[in-house]
Amino acid sequence: MPNLDTGCQEYRELSRRGFLRSSRAMVAQVAAASVPAWLPRISLAADASSRDTLIVVFLRGGMDSLSVVVPYGDPNYYASTLRPTIAIPPPGETNGAIDLDGFFGFAPAMGPLKEVYDAQQLAVLHAVASPDTTRSHFEAYDVIEYATPLAHDTLFTGWLARHLQTSPPIGTGLLRALAVNTVLPRTMSGAPATLPIPDPATFDFPGDAATITEARAVLEQLYATTLEPMSSAAQSTVDTIDLLNSIDFDHYTPSGGAVYAGNAFAQGLKSVAAIIKAEIGLEAAVVERGGWDTHSQQGAIDGGMANNMNLLASGLRAFWLDLQNYMDRVSLVVQTEFGRRADENSSLGSDHGYATAMFAMGGNINGGQVITDWTDGELLHPDLLYNGDSLDMRVDYRDVLAEILDKRLDSQAMTTIFPNFTPTYRGVANG
Amino acid sequence: MSTSCTTAPAPHSKRRRTMSVSRRKFLTYGTTAATFGGTMLSRLEAAMRRRLQTPYPGKLQSRAPRRGVSSDPTLHRLVERTSFGFTRDAYAQAQALGFEGYREEQLDYESIDDSAVESMLAPYDTLPMTEQELYDSYSGNPTGTVGQLTDATMLRAIYSKRQLYERMVEFWTDHFNIDINDSFCYLLKTSDDRDVIRQYAMTSFPELLNASARSAAMSEYLDNYSNIKGHAQENYARELMELHTLGVFNGYTQFDVEQVARCLTGWTYIRRADLAILPLGTFVFVAEKHDNQEKTVLGQTIPAGGGESDGQAVLDMLSTHPNTAGFIARKMCIHFLGYDAPEDVIASVAATYLSTGGDIKQMLRVILQPATIQYLTTPKLKRPFHFIASLLRALDADVPIPSSVKSYLYIMGHLPFYWPQPDGYADKIEVWGTAVLPRWQFATAIAYNQFAPNISIDLDGLLTSEGGNTPGEQAAALDRILTGGQLTDEEVTLLQGFYDGAAGTYWPEADTLRLAASVPTFQLY
Repeated sequence: MPNLDTGCQEYRELSRRGFLRSSRAMVAQVAAASVPAWLPRISLAADASSRDTLIVVFLRGGMDSLSVVVPYGDPNYYASTLRPTIAIPPPGETNGAIDLDGFFGFAPAMGPLKEVYDAQQLAVLHAVASPDTTRSHFEAYDVIEYATPLAHDTLFTGWLARHLQTSPPIGTGLLRALAVNTVLPRTMSGAPATLPIPDPATFDFPGDAATITEARAVLEQLYATTLEPMSSAAQSTVDTIDLLNSIDFDHYTPSGGAVYAGNAFAQGLKSVAAIIKAEIGLEAAVVERGGWDTHSQQGAIDGGMANNMNLLASGLRAFWLDLQNYMDRVSLVVQTEFGRRADENSSLGSDHGYATAMFAMGGNINGGQVITDWTDGELLHPDLLYNGDSLDMRVDYRDVLAEILDKRLDSQAMTTIFPNFTPTYRGVANG
Repeated sequence: MSTSCTTAPAPHSKRRRTMSVSRRKFLTYGTTAATFGGTMLSRLEAAMRRRLQTPYPGKLQSRAPRRGVSSDPTLHRLVERTSFGFTRDAYAQAQALGFEGYREEQLDYESIDDSAVESMLAPYDTLPMTEQELYDSYSGNPTGTVGQLTDATMLRAIYSKRQLYERMVEFWTDHFNIDINDSFCYLLKTSDDRDVIRQYAMTSFPELLNASARSAAMSEYLDNYSNIKGHAQENYARELMELHTLGVFNGYTQFDVEQVARCLTGWTYIRRADLAILPLGTFVFVAEKHDNQEKTVLGQTIPAGGGESDGQAVLDMLSTHPNTAGFIARKMCIHFLGYDAPEDVIASVAATYLSTGGDIKQMLRVILQPATIQYLTTPKLKRPFHFIASLLRALDADVPIPSSVKSYLYIMGHLPFYWPQPDGYADKIEVWGTAVLPRWQFATAIAYNQFAPNISIDLDGLLTSEGGNTPGEQAAALDRILTGGQLTDEEVTLLQGFYDGAAGTYWPEADTLRLAASVPTFQLY
């Protein structure tokens, strides 16, 4: 999608939640365990309150993890053959990293997230990858989002879509997930009751109020028999219009002193926060941020990448503050398609690499730690670099997603969601 | 978001019926709380029943059969597929010339008189400017250059009589994607659009590729200007093979990427506008930065000492490669024939590529045959830009300020030249098909003349021209205007019923028009 900052929308206090709460009274309580896993979950299930809302933040371009989470404790990081110009200094020096655990540190621009890390609700994972070493963005999106490493062109549904397909909806299930975007990302390809909603505040049926019922009826009937995904999307759209109209985005006031910046990323998180608080049954959301393909003039201290990191960290922190009273039911992950080479290139940037970093944030995330296996503290040693140029994999990204889906979203269908894969839980989440 | 200003000419539109400001408010209100309670519960029940009956199929289904028309369906499809949308004028032209006559006229695009749109474009001063001239007048003003290029693209899609040519320009623009917001590409893309894409869109693929490889905008966007001996920059080398020629890992390896990057070292351009020697944007080969050692690409040895010819050797190798022929053939067939374009046609187009040196017109002749057009099983979805252009074309809209549609193009995710990644905007129904609401919103805004006078239509005149003043004939008239009679019987029946039931409301004709432009058939082509 175009990566424009729209700026200028303000949200204030919520209203109208009372009506929606009463509609949930019709939800029947059914023991999920008694229903076979393969059966479409059509009954309105119980345990809604025990399943987290999952937010996936996808950073497009291949985020340079060695700048975001600096392995300052690895002496190889400061080797003159690696990053003589763009390495981030260790803590204590000018422009030095913000220490996390005595070995890793945040880039200075990631500062806003230090508070979340210290509150032990942000976990960092490093040397994260999939077995597929592709350095093509588009192949990597397929691999990561369809969760098909080494098996391209076998599945075209997103892992999150497969989770939604194999789990019962919460409440009405009319809008189970959304992408704050103009089109659905691959992660959500095939997801039921899922829509791209770039701006939830303006998701309204247009036209004359005098004929709106009839107009909607015409389109609902006609779209019922047209091609997919238009057919399902049209139905979800008219259902979602009603749901979102019950939320007063224009008067939404963030809690906890949270201030969302005007950029599209922060505003997207803000609208997701408003929808979570409205408790309309949203189970998942994907928010994206581009600009991480830093081939030249990376600027991780005071350039483009620093701006981007600050935008990311500030947005996530605002979201965390705003949802303090809901954090025990929210899990958020930050991922990217791959990392970048350990050595800088001739343009003071970095080229596509392999392993990268991931974040997990939430009230039931085991935060305040960096989870990895940095092989005797020297994963950047020339003998240990993948292809001699990039950080090698120590954690499969699916380990993180699977653990969260299992412990926080009560998934019973891991082999469907991540075929040909047995996850290793890293202790990222409780549950 | 605010729309950008352009240096557009004074509006030349006639007076149109417009809404008063006080009436506009209703266009953005959804269901009120009063009606919400009563209808909500029954709607929830109905929604749950639908969930039981129709699990997400995850694949294409056939749509309802087209309503019978008296016209020639093969000819109709040719017009739709080779343009940015059906118009009665274009169809009349096709009827006059016949299938092959119309196709040949469109292929010989330079002989088509396009003075109407050219006079609309005359005030856009940036279009003929070089990179240096753009720097001199527009440095620091991306809104100016980007706005004009986007406006021009929209105006051409709506008004150019060289529609097949414009569809090929669109195709190659996506294929050789450049993000106009990257670096200072806002000063470089105008030249690439004019001197690379538009210059060679209907000539041959090798010529197009050679021009693209020397394009300043492409060099900046994919960083090849910084690809130098000893510090190879692989970005362009990779995308050259992955996206522009062979297709992803379709006959090359990571090793080839590195070797191709070496071949292209020293291929750069004048990146500074203040040097008196050569103007900004000029392609230059810098021998001192070129890796002159021997290289191996796709199993072939490129001897040492080749200089600039190393890079050209790679381009020649790629543009004559059978996998390139197949990759280009497949994309072109999908563009014109559909997502399930038949393999035998693709193979035939690829063979034509190889036997003609990538002659684009010859390939189009193989694609645009009555037999291939008739093959279509599932229609294609108009991407948002195409949807907007097709509606403005069919309604014979006046568009003095095309930038007015930018906020819709943005919300639909299809602003020209704004796609960040080199793969270009996708052409898949899965990608564009879930965002239906912005289309309904745009159709409504156009139908109610909400953009007037920046964009306006004469709905009364349109209906009169198709007998839409006769009772019971409004929907049929709108059908003929928008699609030449392609709406399904169900669509026309429901639209007429809607119109009849809307009697006495504010503006039933506009209300029905916006629905007609929102129905499934109008989204497809």
